[in-house]
Amino acid sequence: MALLSGTGLVADDLFLLAHHDVSGRPFLQSRATGIGLAGALLAELVLSGRIRVWANGVGQADRALPDDGLAGWVLGLVLTERERHAPRDWLMFLATTAEQDVATRLEQSGYLTETTSRRPWRAHRWIPVDSDCAFAPLARVRAALDPARPPTVHGVVLAGLATACGLGSRLLPYAPPGARRWLDAAVRQLSPDLRELIAQTQAAVDSALLSHRV
Amino acid sequence: MSAVRAPRARPGSMSRALAKDRLGISAVLFFVLAGVAPLTVAAGVIPTAYQTTHLTGIPAAFLVVAVILAIFAVGYVAMTRHITNSGAFYAFVSQGLGRATGVAAALVALLSYSCLQVGLYGALGPAAAAEAAAHLGVHAAWWAWALAAWGIITVLGTLRVDITGRVLGVLLTAEILVILAETISGLASPAGGHLSFATLSPADLTKAGVGTFGVLAVVAVLGFVGFEQAPVLAEEAKNARRTIPHATYLALGMIAVVYAGASWAMAVHAGTSHVVAAAGQEGPGLLFGLGGGGLSQAAQLLYLTSLFAAALAFHNVVWRYMFALGREHVLPAALGRTGANNIPKAASLVQSASGLAVIVIYAATRQDPMTRLFFWLGTTGGFGILLLLALTAVAVVAFFARDSRGEHAWQRLIAPALAAVLLTGIVVLAVRNYATLLGVPPADPASWALPASYAAVAVIGLGWGLLLKGRRPDLYAAIGLGARAVTARLSTAADQAPR
Repeated sequence: MALLSGTGLVADDLFLLAHHDVSGRPFLQSRATGIGLAGALLAELVLSGRIRVWANGVGQADRALPDDGLAGWVLGLVLTERERHAPRDWLMFLATTAEQDVATRLEQSGYLTETTSRRPWRAHRWIPVDSDCAFAPLARVRAALDPARPPTVHGVVLAGLATACGLGSRLLPYAPPGARRWLDAAVRQLSPDLRELIAQTQAAVDSALLSHRV
Repeated sequence: MSAVRAPRARPGSMSRALAKDRLGISAVLFFVLAGVAPLTVAAGVIPTAYQTTHLTGIPAAFLVVAVILAIFAVGYVAMTRHITNSGAFYAFVSQGLGRATGVAAALVALLSYSCLQVGLYGALGPAAAAEAAAHLGVHAAWWAWALAAWGIITVLGTLRVDITGRVLGVLLTAEILVILAETISGLASPAGGHLSFATLSPADLTKAGVGTFGVLAVVAVLGFVGFEQAPVLAEEAKNARRTIPHATYLALGMIAVVYAGASWAMAVHAGTSHVVAAAGQEGPGLLFGLGGGGLSQAAQLLYLTSLFAAALAFHNVVWRYMFALGREHVLPAALGRTGANNIPKAASLVQSASGLAVIVIYAATRQDPMTRLFFWLGTTGGFGILLLLALTAVAVVAFFARDSRGEHAWQRLIAPALAAVLLTGIVVLAVRNYATLLGVPPADPASWALPASYAAVAVIGLGWGLLLKGRRPDLYAAIGLGARAVTARLSTAADQAPR
């Protein structure tokens, strides 16, 4: 059952932000969406204290399995991967399936429904069940962009990741002037792990753009 | 609210999964050659170079310059392995010679690629006008066609349409096949029935004085522009240590053979002593005339698509440069922002604005588009790339002088130092003979103004870099990092995972 308050999970909110609230049309190139959602999936585990993110690696902090199945699967990967990989590698790896994975999770919690297009060359699309609920994350992000409102960690991480993967131009029209600077300052106040993760997400998206792959 | 369905099965090892998504040699090679646009050079640059410079050593110049660039590439690809943002010259210069010099190099690169892009409208306009007049009965001025092409490129640039790999691959293969067919056909029917090897001889490079080698080398470097792009894909390549060098050397070899062959065939077919006059009369027809009717028709159509693809490719190179510099806050931050669909609209539109301004100025002053827009700005862009190659060679030596990073002396010192000396020598010769390159009297203001424009932007860049160093050390520290600049600013580099 879809609620205006959302699922409380960063990747779910980011997915809804990155797609049109009625048609489900994506606002970003799929590679950028994937990298952003990969960053959000890792952010969920950082926020719940399960993993840590450094400039040169991702490691476990707490082995306890999260309630959510997708988060549990990602944590399982971090726990079982024998080689150490840079955050960028994790982002690129998770990005390949993140969009599908998060959409499936949102479908299971009642926010999205899958439709197949009548035109065979068009890929299937996920459509919001309730456009108000799909629009709600934008309101949650506003807190992070408005100096007059107390920012929440969830809001700042969401706004930081959204801007990192290229949704800045979608957020800012709803924000007061000076929001960009305010957000930068709020991101700097986050824990080093979350700051690193947001920076790495932005670098991965920019780098894909510069190497002609977005 | 927890998920019931388990995520789909996927590959076991993460490294294996990542490798699957990466590019092999052929993908990188296609990417490089697509930026090179062979028919643009073979039908556009080479005949105009014969006509403007009155020099016949062009075929030999392609071969000699290929060797020099191969020597340069040794250090270039070695350094690619040790730096981020390795697709951009200014990243090499920043790391080797300091960030302020890096900013100067960045502006020189921006001006060079911008000249190359805008110059293409000078060939695109006349080529489209000629085709339309011949086949559609439509008669319009060159600038009308140039503006039409500009409009399409502006729209495609803001929609973020790159011509897809497959389309470009087909066009590229067709271009190379057509050039080879024209070459063989031209060589099979030499002027006077005698196959002359004179233009391939290194002696022809300095026939009209040592300085002419500088002129010929700029023309050849212009032909090779694009070969330096392979490291852009370093992070996306299957095995950056092998894929990037192999693709670079392969591209150099292929380009050298195709261009030297085509320019040689033109000289053979028209006669070495007549090729300059023939180029003046026929222009791109000098290449098309080597083959029969059908081949010539195909070549003319592909010439048009080649010019268009090159103009779009360089448009994309320019906005990527601006975007990276905007991200680093070296250029206004607005250039480093993206809109819907990850499109850096501001950067794309700035380049479109400069294209429009140049087309309008050339149309209003009624200057010849082929020689004065295409060739002058094209060779000036090529000269800028030559400057960057020389500077980068020095930067490679300086970079490895501080730490050899396990590279062999040939890669980190001998080859780049040799390349630096040779490329600097060419730069000096080219500056002294710039009037010959442009085909103007030595006193013509263009012969000093065009090369001096690089000195001007370099001074501005150096000044701006030093200003940033004093006022914004945080931004200064991230210069040259491109996409990684953000991690340098936001992340906590001191925080490393426990071993």
